[in-house]
Amino acid sequence: MATKILVAVKQVTALDEDFEIRADGRDVDADFFLRDLNEWDDFSLEEAVKIKEAGGEVEVVVVTVGPEEADESLRKCLAKGADRAIRIWDEAMEGSDSQAIARVLAAAVQQQNPDLVFAGVQSSDHSFASTGIALAGLLNWPHAAVVNQFEFSPGATQAVIRRELEGGVLQMMSIDLPAVLSIQLGINTPRYASLRTIKQAAAKPIEQVGLSDLGLSATDVGEAGSASRVRRMYIPEKGRAEMIEGSLAEQAAKLAAIIKEFKGASA
Amino acid sequence: MARDPKHDILFEPIQIGPKTLRNRFYQVPHCIGAGSDRPGFQAAHRSVKAEGGWAGINTEYCSIHPESDDTHRLSARLWDDGDVHNLRAMCDEVHRYGALAGVELWYGGAHSPNMESRSTPRGPSQYASEFETMTYCKEMDLNDIKQVQGYYVEAALRARDAGFDIVYVYGAHSYLPLQFLSPFYNKRTDHYGGSLENRARFWLETLEQVGRAVGKDCAIATRFAVDSLYGTSGIEAEVDGVKFAKLADPLVDVWDIDVGDIAEWGEDAGPSRFYLQGHQVPWTKFIKQVVKKPVLGVGRFTDPEKMVEIVTKGYADIIGAARPSIADPFLPKKIEEGRYDDIRVCIGCNVCISRWEIGGPPMICTQNATAGEEFRRGWHPEKFKKKGSQDSVLVIGAGPSGGECSRVLMERGYTVHLYDTAAKIGGHINELALLPGLGEWGYHRDYRETQITKLAKKNKECQVALGQKPMTATDALAYGADRIVIATGSSWNTDGTNCLSHDPIPGADASRDDQLTPEQVILGKKKIGKRVVIVNADTYFMAPSIAEKLAAAGHEVTLVTGVHLANYMHFTLEYPNMMRRLHELHVNVLEHEFCSKIEPGRMQAYNIWGDGSKRTYRGPGKPPRDENQSHHWIEFDSLILVTGRHSHDSLHRELHAKTGEWEKNGVKAVYLIGDAEAPRLIADATFSGHRLAREIEEANPQLPLPYKREVAKWGVAHVAGTSAALEYKV
Ligand SMILES: Cc1cc2nc3c(=O)[nH]c(=O)nc-3n(C[C@H](O)[C@H](O)[C@H](O)COP(=O)(O)O)c2cc1C
Repeated sequence: MATKILVAVKQVTALDEDFEIRADGRDVDADFFLRDLNEWDDFSLEEAVKIKEAGGEVEVVVVTVGPEEADESLRKCLAKGADRAIRIWDEAMEGSDSQAIARVLAAAVQQQNPDLVFAGVQSSDHSFASTGIALAGLLNWPHAAVVNQFEFSPGATQAVIRRELEGGVLQMMSIDLPAVLSIQLGINTPRYASLRTIKQAAAKPIEQVGLSDLGLSATDVGEAGSASRVRRMYIPEKGRAEMIEGSLAEQAAKLAAIIKEFKGASA
Repeated sequence: MARDPKHDILFEPIQIGPKTLRNRFYQVPHCIGAGSDRPGFQAAHRSVKAEGGWAGINTEYCSIHPESDDTHRLSARLWDDGDVHNLRAMCDEVHRYGALAGVELWYGGAHSPNMESRSTPRGPSQYASEFETMTYCKEMDLNDIKQVQGYYVEAALRARDAGFDIVYVYGAHSYLPLQFLSPFYNKRTDHYGGSLENRARFWLETLEQVGRAVGKDCAIATRFAVDSLYGTSGIEAEVDGVKFAKLADPLVDVWDIDVGDIAEWGEDAGPSRFYLQGHQVPWTKFIKQVVKKPVLGVGRFTDPEKMVEIVTKGYADIIGAARPSIADPFLPKKIEEGRYDDIRVCIGCNVCISRWEIGGPPMICTQNATAGEEFRRGWHPEKFKKKGSQDSVLVIGAGPSGGECSRVLMERGYTVHLYDTAAKIGGHINELALLPGLGEWGYHRDYRETQITKLAKKNKECQVALGQKPMTATDALAYGADRIVIATGSSWNTDGTNCLSHDPIPGADASRDDQLTPEQVILGKKKIGKRVVIVNADTYFMAPSIAEKLAAAGHEVTLVTGVHLANYMHFTLEYPNMMRRLHELHVNVLEHEFCSKIEPGRMQAYNIWGDGSKRTYRGPGKPPRDENQSHHWIEFDSLILVTGRHSHDSLHRELHAKTGEWEKNGVKAVYLIGDAEAPRLIADATFSGHRLAREIEEANPQLPLPYKREVAKWGVAHVAGTSAALEYKV
C-alpha cells in the first residue's frame, strides 16, 4: 500500500512597502498584501517530495485552508512535486484562528487517511506556531515539533527524527506512525520549480472541499469556532533617532544631556 | 511613496540671474560624444535628464571657434549657424520638460590640438601642453586677447540664439581663463600677468563682455577649478581661489566649482577606487564663504543624505553631478518620489570618461545601458515596451549581462526564470568588488538584485533560483522555457593563453598549488607565498589590482608585463593614482617583459623587443628576426596568471549541438550574451543583456538591430545657404 504524506500549507501575506490598516482596525488592508507560500511549507513540501523521490510508493498531497487566491500557492506545490492538491474553503472560515484551522485540517486528515502529516513550524505572517500541534491534539496522534532531520523508508511504521531544542541541543527520537510533524527551516534545500513543471501544474485540477464535505458546520470555524480573536492591529509609534555631531567633547556633552533628559531632572 | 521631508531642501527653486532653477539638481557639463554633430543624440540624452527631474542641464564643453578644436576628441561647437541649428534641438527638448539648458563656452589654448582646423591655439604665454602631445600655443599679444575675447562674445550670442538659458565661461580643467589666472601657465609681465589682479584680468573682462552681450537673457556661469592641487605652483583654494571668486562674483550669476587640472582630471572626476562621494569639499567649501551668488559643486553625489548635508552645511547651494546623472538620469525624480532603492547608483568606474579619453566614441555607462542609446536605439532609461509574446525565458547566469537581461525582460512583463550556481546575483562582480578600492562597483549588482527581487514579487511567474547545480544542455532543454539565454560569463585562463602568443605558456597551470588565477587570489583559498610574480597580458585593472592587494598584504610583488600596464586606466583616469599606489607599495614592475615558460619555483622572462630591430627574409621556417636572447629566470613562491580570459560557452555549444531536440522540448531559440559570448567590459556585458531583452521579438535577436546613424549627408551643407558642392578655388 502506498504511503501517503499530507502536507498542510498556507498562503501567507507579506506587506508591500507602503500599507494601511483596514478600516475596522483588525488587520492590514488586503489591497496591500503580497501573497506567497509560507516559507516553512517550502521545506515541509520538499521533505515529502524527497521521500517520494527516494523510491517506494509515496503519494504527496498538499492541503490548504483558504480562498481562491490560495490556488496559486497550491500550484506552486504541484510544480515542485506534489501529486495532488486540495483547497478547503467556505466563507464561514474567514477569521479562523489556528485552533479552528486545525479542526478543519483534522476533518480532512480523517478523510484522506495519510500516514504522515507535515506542517511548517509556523507561518511567517501570524507566527502562532500552533496549527500543526493543535491538529495532532485533535487527531490524538503522536507528534513532534521543530523537526530538522527526518529519516523514513516508505512502508515503515516508525520514523526517526531529530529536533532542535533550546541552547543548540539536538534531540533524536523515533516516532510511531501515523504522526504529525512540524518541520523547521533548513531541514533541506527546497527546490525551485522549472517552467515545465509550472506549466504542468497549471493544467492539474485542484480538488475543492467545502464545509459540509468535511461534515463540519459554520459554528466549528471562523470566529465562532475560534478560541481567540484579533482585537486590534496597529503600527507602534517610531522612536526618534538623532545624529550627534561635533567634536568628541561636544558629542560627549550632547550625549550626556540626552541621557539626563531621559533619566529625568533628578539625574 | 513620498519623499522624506528631510530632502525637501533639495527641491527648493533657486534664482540664477534672469533664470530660475526649479530645484537643486544640476547636470554639470559633460561629454557624451554627441557635440554639435549628433544633434539627436545630444537632444535625447540631455532631455531624458530633464524628464528625470534635473533643473539645469548642460552641453559638454563647447568650442567657441575653430582655434579651439579638440579633434580627435569630441566637443560641442558653436562656430556657425549650422551648430546653432543642431544645438537648438537640445534646448527645445530640454525646455519641454521644464529644465534650463546651459552651454559651456570653451577655448583650450595649447590643450587643444586643432587636428581638424589646423589653426594655431593661443595662450597667455607660450607653453607645451602637459596633456596633449606636441602642442604648443602662441603667446597672445594684446590684440590677440581682444580677438579671442571677441570669439567668446560671438559664441555667446549664438548660444543665446540657439535657446540656451545658461552661458558659461569655462575656466576649469586648465582651459584658457584659468591659464591666465594660474602662474603655472601665465608668465606674462604685462598687465595680464604677475599679480592676482593682473592674472584675473582676462577672465574678468571676458565675463564682463559676455555678460554685456547676453546677460539680460541668459544666466552667466563660470566654471572654476578653485585649486589646481599643485600647491603653490598653481591656484590654491584659500589663496588665489577665494580672491578670484570675490573679484568675479559681481560678474557671474552662478558659480560652478571643482578642483584639479586637465592632465589629471581624475582628481575632479574622482574614480571610486580612490575617492568617496564629496571628496572635493575640503577645497571647494571656501568659495561659498566669500561669494553672494549661488554656488554649485560636484563630487559623485548619489546619496540624498549627503546632498542635504552639502546644502545645509553651506558648502554649496546646488548639487552638481556628471556621472550620477549618467548612471541614473532619473535620480532627482526617484528622490522626489521617495523611490530611494530604485536609484541606479554610479559605481565610479569612469568608463563613461574612457570614451572621451579614447577620442570621441559615444559615451557608455556600466550601470545604465541606455546611456548614449536614447536617440539612436530609442531606449528610454525607465520606460519599456510591453512584452511582444507570451514566451517564457530561462536566463542562465545572473552576472552583469544575465542580470540586466532578466531585469529588462521582467520590466517588459515577460516570465523570466533566472538561474545561477552562485548564491548571489552579480556574477564576477561579487569577486571584483573585493579588490582594493572596488567596493562601490558592487552597486552594479545591488541595483539588479533589488530590481529583480521587486519585479519577481510583482510577477509571481518569475523566479530567481540561486545556488543551483550547474545546468546541463539536457536540463536546459527540459526546463520548459520557450527561449533560453546563456549568460554564463568568462574566467581567467589557467594555462597562460594570452594576446601576445595566442597560445598557452608552457608550464602555466593554475591547478598547481603555486600558480593562481585572479579569481583564486580573490577567493583566498590557496596559500600565497612571500615572493609573488604576476604575469600580465591584460591592459585593464586586474594586474595592478592584484599587485596592490598582495603588496599591501606584505608580499614582495614583481609584475612582469608584456603589454602596456593598465593602459585602459589612462582612459578611466585611474592611471596616475594607480601608479602612485604601486610605487608606494614597492611593486617591482618589469615593463616590456613577458613569460616564455614556467617551471616549479621559477619563470622565464624575456624582453618583448629582444628579437632584433632588423627584419630579413631568410626563407621558410626561419623567423625574419634574430633569436631573442634576452631570456632570464625569475624565482617565485607564487605565480599569478593575468594573461587573458575565455568564455564559458560550453553550455551554449552543447545546446547548439542538440538543435534537433529544441522543437520537441518547445524551445524556440537559444541566445548567448555577455562574457559568455566574448569577454568584455562590464558596461558592454550589461549592454548586451539589455539589448537582447529589448529586441527579443526581432527576427534574429542574437544580432543587434541597426541603429539610427547621425552622419553628414552628401550634398547637404552644414550651414544653411552655403554650398556643399565640390569646388576648387583655382
Ligand atoms: C564623461 C564625462 C565627461 C566630462 N566632460 C566635461 C566637460 O566637457 N566639461 C567639463 O567642465 N567637465 C567635464 N566633466 C567633468 C564633470 O563636469 C565633473 O566635474 C566631474 O565628473 C565630477 O563630477 P561628478 O563627480 O558628479 O562626476 C566630464 C565628466 C564626465 C564623467
